[in-house]
Amino acid sequence: MTLDGDEPISDQEKVRIVSNFILHSPPGEFNEVFNDARTLLNNDTLLKEGALGVFGQYCKEQLTPVKIKNSELPVLITEHNDLGSNRFFDARSKQSFKYDPLRRETSNYDSWEPEAGTEKWRQALEQELDTYVANHYAKGACSVFSKKEESKIHLVACIEAHLFQPQNCWNGCWRSQWFATIDSDTAEVKGVLKIQVHYYEDGNVQLVSSKEVSHTVNVSDEEQLAKELVKIFEESESDYQNAISDNYLTMSDTTFKALRRQLPVTRSKIDWSKMVSYSIGKELKQ
Amino acid sequence: MTDQQMDCALDLMRRLPPQEIEKNLSDLIDLVPSLCEDLLSSVDQPLKIARDHEVGKDYLLCDYNRDGDSYRSPWSNTYSPTLEDGSMPSERLRKLEIHANNAFDQYREMYFEGGVSSVYLWDLEINGFAGAILIKKAGDGSKKIKGCWDSIHVVEVQEKSSGRNAHYKLTSTVMLWLQTNKTGSGTMNLGGSLTRQVEQDANVSEASPHIANIGRMVEDMENKIRNTSGKPIEPPKTEIRWTQIDRATVASAMKRVYSGSSCSFG
Repeated sequence: MTLDGDEPISDQEKVRIVSNFILHSPPGEFNEVFNDARTLLNNDTLLKEGALGVFGQYCKEQLTPVKIKNSELPVLITEHNDLGSNRFFDARSKQSFKYDPLRRETSNYDSWEPEAGTEKWRQALEQELDTYVANHYAKGACSVFSKKEESKIHLVACIEAHLFQPQNCWNGCWRSQWFATIDSDTAEVKGVLKIQVHYYEDGNVQLVSSKEVSHTVNVSDEEQLAKELVKIFEESESDYQNAISDNYLTMSDTTFKALRRQLPVTRSKIDWSKMVSYSIGKELKQ
Repeated sequence: MTDQQMDCALDLMRRLPPQEIEKNLSDLIDLVPSLCEDLLSSVDQPLKIARDHEVGKDYLLCDYNRDGDSYRSPWSNTYSPTLEDGSMPSERLRKLEIHANNAFDQYREMYFEGGVSSVYLWDLEINGFAGAILIKKAGDGSKKIKGCWDSIHVVEVQEKSSGRNAHYKLTSTVMLWLQTNKTGSGTMNLGGSLTRQVEQDANVSEASPHIANIGRMVEDMENKIRNTSGKPIEPPKTEIRWTQIDRATVASAMKRVYSGSSCSFG
């Protein structure tokens, strides 16, 4: 930071700063942050040329749910179903489409074929996951993707749930990404769980939390694996949620109390007249 | 610079993760250098501690005791790094500043049992003065949760011509930082700032001088924030994800979050 501010930074540096602001938009506040960043940069050409990729990146990082044609359930925009050039696929409805991250619109639909040999595993997991998400999330969306690499089947299950309450000045979002790699009769399972909440009336308070978990499970068939995986998701996500709750209790009962007392040891508020005359007396003695 | 840019900069600081205030602010200033002074005087940052080697006592750094790249210590009244003609309060105000520092030092000890405090005063153009009362306290990290409290109180005092009463306007920002990294909950970072304002008239007399009037207002403000912070700072996690059997709990949690003002600390 230069206090005298006499050395202007390069366009490249400006784009880096603006991109970073946009990528850090709290859930549900992309438009506001984007508009602020745009006004501050004050150069739409530069914004378009330099930061275009950032909008898509943000949507992918947020696991943005998108309504699509020919499907009752939304699909999540993630790095796992990114076909490049702003095209994504929905494995559930077997379609690919173009997604405009700024307008949040889909277009140019096409049919999409799953990778051979992976689909039955994916479908079984999708079915179990749909039930889990419907039962455990207020407004959750999920997508399951699959691929084959080095003769191993990789499954990715993503869950997104958010509540945006701008009228009450808070927004929050839960994201889970679960990875399972099937290697003959076992599967390695990894999960990344994230929570972000933002309150912003008369201030700016945020909770940013994330947790990683890993497990190994036995594999006999696709239905058994799907059930086993979703059981792990459910247990891990509940454990995480409970641990976060416990932290709140400790924070408000212990940590917070240790920072500032509710009242001084005397259990009464300060007698300021006395305290000031004491301070003046102390100064006279020095 | 335009007013619109300043509005956008402030809106942005209200939205970006508060855990990164310093980085975001420095990026903003790099992006629009003409906003520099305005931003530094209107965005509160976590307080930094410096050592006054002359007196052997810590003091707090903020925009209110900064002149150029130097900061004035309230204890020795000198700038570090040394500044020839750094701005100073008038002689009358410096006297008041000394008393205020003593009084708030005691206040800090009684409520925070540790930490650092500093008070800075400056003259206003017409009939009055202003001041910043700063307190910083870091927790001991017990139960594996790190915590830190920063309070920044800015008071404007308008003295009435009779000299027997004054109008006080207090703007308080409390920043609270809680951090933990445990097996069960992963990394959890909860923090940010809340700003509140209060105004009042009060008599000024020997028994109730300015410092006592300001002291009462600061104490009431901090007590209010302290006693309500526990609850509404808690994000409505049960609303983000919940099990069906949890619905009763959720309903009561919702009620708690929504009673009173729903999205500030209290």
